[in-house]
Amino acid sequence: MNHTTRREFIVQTAGALGAVAFMPSLIAKGAQIDGRLDVAVIGAGRQGRSILGELQKFAGVRVVGICDNNPGRLNSGLRRVQGAEGFADHRAMLDKLTGCKAIVIATPTHLHREIAIDCLGAGRHVYCEAPLAHTIEDCRAIVVAARRASGLVFQSGLEGRSNPIYQLARTFFRSDAVREPVSLEAQDYRKTSWRFPSPDPRFDREINWRLDPEVSLGLAGEMGVHQFDVMMWYLDAIPESVIGAGSIRAHDDGRALADTIDCALRFPRGLGMRYGASLGNSHGGRYELLRGTNAAIKLAWTAGWMFKEADAPTQGWEVYANRQQFHNEEGITLIADATQLASQGKLQEGVGLPNPPLYYALGDFIASVAEGKPAICDAEAGARATIVAIHAAKSVTGEEIVRIDPSLFQF
Amino acid sequence: MILPLSIHAMGTRFEFVLAGATEPSLRAVGEAALEEVQGWHAALSVFQPESMLSFINRTACDRPVRLDEDMWNLMSLCDRVHRDSEGAFDPTVGMVMQRLGLHPGDGADGPIGWADLVELDERERTIRLTHHGVRIDLGAVAKGFALDCSAGVLREHGVEAALLHGGTSSVIAIGSPPDRNGWTVSIRSAGEAIEVDLADRALGVSAPRGRIVACEGGSVSHVIDPRSEHSAEQVDTAAVVGSSAGVADAWATALVVLGGRPASMSDKLESLIHGQDGWVCSQRTCPQEVS
Repeated sequence: MNHTTRREFIVQTAGALGAVAFMPSLIAKGAQIDGRLDVAVIGAGRQGRSILGELQKFAGVRVVGICDNNPGRLNSGLRRVQGAEGFADHRAMLDKLTGCKAIVIATPTHLHREIAIDCLGAGRHVYCEAPLAHTIEDCRAIVVAARRASGLVFQSGLEGRSNPIYQLARTFFRSDAVREPVSLEAQDYRKTSWRFPSPDPRFDREINWRLDPEVSLGLAGEMGVHQFDVMMWYLDAIPESVIGAGSIRAHDDGRALADTIDCALRFPRGLGMRYGASLGNSHGGRYELLRGTNAAIKLAWTAGWMFKEADAPTQGWEVYANRQQFHNEEGITLIADATQLASQGKLQEGVGLPNPPLYYALGDFIASVAEGKPAICDAEAGARATIVAIHAAKSVTGEEIVRIDPSLFQF
Repeated sequence: MILPLSIHAMGTRFEFVLAGATEPSLRAVGEAALEEVQGWHAALSVFQPESMLSFINRTACDRPVRLDEDMWNLMSLCDRVHRDSEGAFDPTVGMVMQRLGLHPGDGADGPIGWADLVELDERERTIRLTHHGVRIDLGAVAKGFALDCSAGVLREHGVEAALLHGGTSSVIAIGSPPDRNGWTVSIRSAGEAIEVDLADRALGVSAPRGRIVACEGGSVSHVIDPRSEHSAEQVDTAAVVGSSAGVADAWATALVVLGGRPASMSDKLESLIHGQDGWVCSQRTCPQEVS
């Protein structure tokens, strides 16, 4: 006889009633594909190297090419992967690696347009890091190219969309568990100059493109885009306006772009979102906080929690949920795969993602390519979040209210 | 100028002191070096499920896991020191530490013994675990290896003088401070301190009494003899000086387990061991004791 304890029964039943039952296995998700998929990565900077590391985890996926015009970065990338061929020019790579079906673009943002269009034109599936581009014109050009490339997958690298904890939390957010949204908040605080060393002065401006106001969207664009997208995805809405301000608080080293910013975005029906980012202090790190009339959800990329209001209805599964204390508040840990883990008596193991968020985003891309499925976050979704980020960056620079024209999102 | 930088990682504080010309570029280089530490913290933590090491522990029994060059070098280093120390250094001992309450754990049990449990395929650059439940824990070598990588970044960008340490037990010196023969580092053990001058050298220190945990029937130190699965307490402190902090860290742990220097230890590594007879040093006269 299969003995199921009352506790297990409640956890399993509640999981089945809630969203947790629908989560795929976190560990198995995307871990392998049938056959072999050859992939190349363009851009071997820090993010490109992280991508190479995660791609190595997928059985059946082979990184066959790495492209970067900076020899030092290219060598760093090649050290990550055995057997990959190095290229300085992406067109030469596309011409030579004819068997390579999928390309991951991790170059500086302002180079995405040309490379993405070349890759799609050469019949390759594309995963493009976010933000999608540094201008609205470039965003629209990429969307047009992705639409024309029928049969090809184009995934925007907005990782929240693939994150199992974020997917789970969204089902709560859009249910009675959170109820009516009250306010939104997000931050990304770090302690770093955002300046990268260059052994060769010729590459200095190129390497430190994030500090170049001509091509960089600054903190609002490069860091904020992922967090704006989470809110837009959760609400299924686009902000109507943004006001921002920025200053140099920590790194007065000749840079022009602010190292600390604050923005206030206004969504439909007056819902507000506060956004702060800084390179001068790391307290609190990176998170999103969504407050509703029944509960607040806090998301921190590899973990998530729900904080219930006292008058919110109790759901059966909460009794046995994992909890964490935050000062004088208690958060219910949001665990994807909870039903499966509970049935194995391993609920505690589910606290935290078993892989970095990037792994899940790449896993979705690989699955889309292998199975011919639409991208989980297509070019239009990437363009929408990027256009909002471009407006936020503009509001920080001009310290003014910037209206976001809804017609910009008609692609 | 002298630029100090620090971060919290691997459960301790890493501190870098760099000497160089101008601040923006020196800071940028220093931050790139610190990023190496953060990267290895993220990759090697057994307490974070999303780390690469957790992925290996979880997956490598079901299929070989591909490693990048740095991770391969780290695993090869462990393999080499495990072999040369005749099993005294064993990264699979983490399971025993978990059992003894030195590390948090989920109550699961598993086998130990690197030589039988870990297969490294050099041609494919993969790692495979031969049994389920194996828990590789690189706590004894991670800080030093991360410092090796950080020092590589600093050297690559032309830094000629710097001192790097992780939790004071893993140290790398690049060059020397102006007008000095080396960076002077003091090693204190049971009230007796010695000083060593490091120039383009690394130091790894292991002290079994650095962390003691109470358990049923007494207490255990944080260095476990993988062969007996008991605390290693024959010496107070073991320090190793060499060219790599990762190697020095691994050997410092092995020396505590062995209670002395084995013949199999490379002549290129200097050992300083403090026990009942005071400091015993290899290859040269012991540095002068200081009060």
